[in-house]
Amino acid sequence: MDTLLKPALHIEKKSRRGYHITFAVIAAMLALSPFIIEGTSLVQFLGKCMCYAIVGIALDLIWGYTGMLSLGHGLWFCLGGYAMAMFLKLDGTNGKITDFMQTGGLTELPWFWKPFGSFPLTLILVILIPALFAGIVGYFVFRSRIKGVYFSIITQALTWAVYSLFMANSKFTGGNNGITDIASIFGKTKGSANRTNLLIIFFITLAVLVLVYLLATFLTGRKFGKLLIAIRDGENRTYFSGYSVNSYKNFIYAMSAVLAAIAGALFVNFNGSITPTQMTISYSITMVIWVAVGGRGTIIGAVIGAFFINLCEYNFSSGILVEAWQFIIGAIFCLTILLFKGGIVGIVRDNIPELIRRIKNRKNKTAKEAA
Amino acid sequence: MKKGLIKKIAVAAAALCFTMTISSCGKAAGTGDEESVTVGLLHSLTGSMAISEKAVSDAEKLAIEEINTAGGVLGKQIKFIEEDGASDPSTFATKAEKLIDQDKVVTVFGCWTSSSRKAVKPVFEDYNALLWYPVQYEGMEASENIVYAGAAPNQQIVPAVEYLIEQGYKKFFLMGSDYVFPRTANMIIEAQVKAAGLEVVGVEYADMEQTDFAAIISKIEAAQPDVILNTLNGSGNVSFFKQMSEKNYTSEDYMTMSFSIAEEEVTAIGPALLTNHLVSWNYYQTTDTAKNKDFVAAYKAKFGENRVTSDPAEAAYINVYLWKAAVEKAGSFDVDKVIEAIESGEISFDAPEGMVTLNGDNHHLAKPVRIGEIRADGLIYEIKSTPAPVEPDPYLTTYDWAVAAGIQPLE
Repeated sequence: MDTLLKPALHIEKKSRRGYHITFAVIAAMLALSPFIIEGTSLVQFLGKCMCYAIVGIALDLIWGYTGMLSLGHGLWFCLGGYAMAMFLKLDGTNGKITDFMQTGGLTELPWFWKPFGSFPLTLILVILIPALFAGIVGYFVFRSRIKGVYFSIITQALTWAVYSLFMANSKFTGGNNGITDIASIFGKTKGSANRTNLLIIFFITLAVLVLVYLLATFLTGRKFGKLLIAIRDGENRTYFSGYSVNSYKNFIYAMSAVLAAIAGALFVNFNGSITPTQMTISYSITMVIWVAVGGRGTIIGAVIGAFFINLCEYNFSSGILVEAWQFIIGAIFCLTILLFKGGIVGIVRDNIPELIRRIKNRKNKTAKEAA
Repeated sequence: MKKGLIKKIAVAAAALCFTMTISSCGKAAGTGDEESVTVGLLHSLTGSMAISEKAVSDAEKLAIEEINTAGGVLGKQIKFIEEDGASDPSTFATKAEKLIDQDKVVTVFGCWTSSSRKAVKPVFEDYNALLWYPVQYEGMEASENIVYAGAAPNQQIVPAVEYLIEQGYKKFFLMGSDYVFPRTANMIIEAQVKAAGLEVVGVEYADMEQTDFAAIISKIEAAQPDVILNTLNGSGNVSFFKQMSEKNYTSEDYMTMSFSIAEEEVTAIGPALLTNHLVSWNYYQTTDTAKNKDFVAAYKAKFGENRVTSDPAEAAYINVYLWKAAVEKAGSFDVDKVIEAIESGEISFDAPEGMVTLNGDNHHLAKPVRIGEIRADGLIYEIKSTPAPVEPDPYLTTYDWAVAAGIQPLE
């Protein structure tokens, strides 16, 4: 399957410059958007999309580059989300127990939520928990040389297990309501009166997105990235060339989990709640669709895909399109997998240079004819 | 060559899709114009909740149409913008914000599940907008910016348990889906049953998607309860009652009192399995008022003869009329003025279920409570009702046993 991704290597240098320019344009548009867009709801939504884009990059690192398809990234997204949400919730209740804990019959904050009363500790835990969790899971999975579809099934099962755990322990986690009714780190973000708060968190998220993009392109542009691709295209060969394939896989899996968790932690600031729906398998698969449609193995594709799919969904609000949307997205996904392995980025990369060449030729021709 | 053509068509389709997205970004609906005013409808049009929420959004559309035919609100025709919550609380929050901030609707009718309501609550509070919520729920909430037209626990659960105690049931078994409504309901029921000196012989929760009830049924057999208080939601009910009937259990062996089975669900489960079982609501399709005859007739005429009306649909219908009454009292669509009108406590409506009055303190409705029995024709018939509308008490502060059990809001 992966031979089809190979053209990416041939014209890599040239396309890379194109990717960077595209990302710079997207980032600049995002930076300007709050000053152009009236109201706060669309800014709020673009903020969420940036978080989705970060998850997309995280997925692209392990799927597009390393060839490990995770169907459970909602788990990492939610671990970060719940951690930040609990901090924000406790910030609102001054460290006392929350509404769902009271309904569940608790009178005291459970010990494992206590660290989330402090902001620095929360930040550390947002990174540490998924890193350790994914690190340990990865250690056993990769040591047993589980790969391909079996890896996907394990990620799915893991996500399902944690999802059930969160649903069943509603007095600790809020059950299917999740953690609701929270403000952002900088206070309320909704409504025109809170626009400044929204802008602060918006630009922090944009900065994180840019940093994550730079980190991902930095890693994949070096020998490290070539090794990930080598693992994807010929794991055994890489293995026999003397590389410790398992450590590479484990590292990139844990890193991907951490990036997704950071996205989740930022997401709750915009969303005002975190619910287990974000942890479901169908939601995790949606994340994969963003990357596939945008174009995997390119980093920029994940960003484009996340924005494209979510903006479509945002605008198909009612009427016939809403019910058709699920089918449209399914059709887009199938078409992408069958015909355009490179996604949107692939289409542009493979067709635009050709198009430019033709236009140039025609111009030359007409110029010659005129002469 | 052929593949190339398919590719070109696909690219063209994608481009079209993209252009549509971009172009629809620019469209803004606005608050309407001289002759019209725009409201938002926010329900799940897709996903697992779509079937249930269709009934309530249909009822809202019916009310809007009726009001428009009768001349509108403050002389303006009502237009509506419908958004899809996609059965996902976060999508509900995003779309609620879009309706309020971008489409500038004057008010929103929407939500069904508690999780979607809780997700949009901060949106409505921070934007100072108004949400009209149509479903009975677990209580313990009273937001300035939400009107709760469904029953609070003391208008559904508490009277049902009182009725069962009156009828001489002594051993109660509590069973529900594992989420906030059943858990809160059971917390209240346990306190109430214990205060009456009676016994709860078992509490069991099923997963939302659970289809195998063998384990729970064997626990019921072991506990030998007089009555099962059922807060299962959705497809769980189908499996549970089917498996009970496979063991030849009828209401004579184990009576059930259900809080989430209305006419729509009876049709889905099959009336044969539910005959003679009990439910508790504020309204049934068979409720005998002149207003209800008109409502049922209009609903069936608009949406089809085989459709049934139910408690949530009726509450959704009430909501639109209450909003109209509040706007007319305020003389304005301005949210602050409408809330002021609501808080006067003088907004009432002669609804299909009887006269309902909007409580100005907690934004819930005073409404009659009806214990109903499911019959073989698939409809529910009232067997007992409260003589007067019951005042809403979402925090159960007027019940000594509830206060003693520590059921109260957090500081």
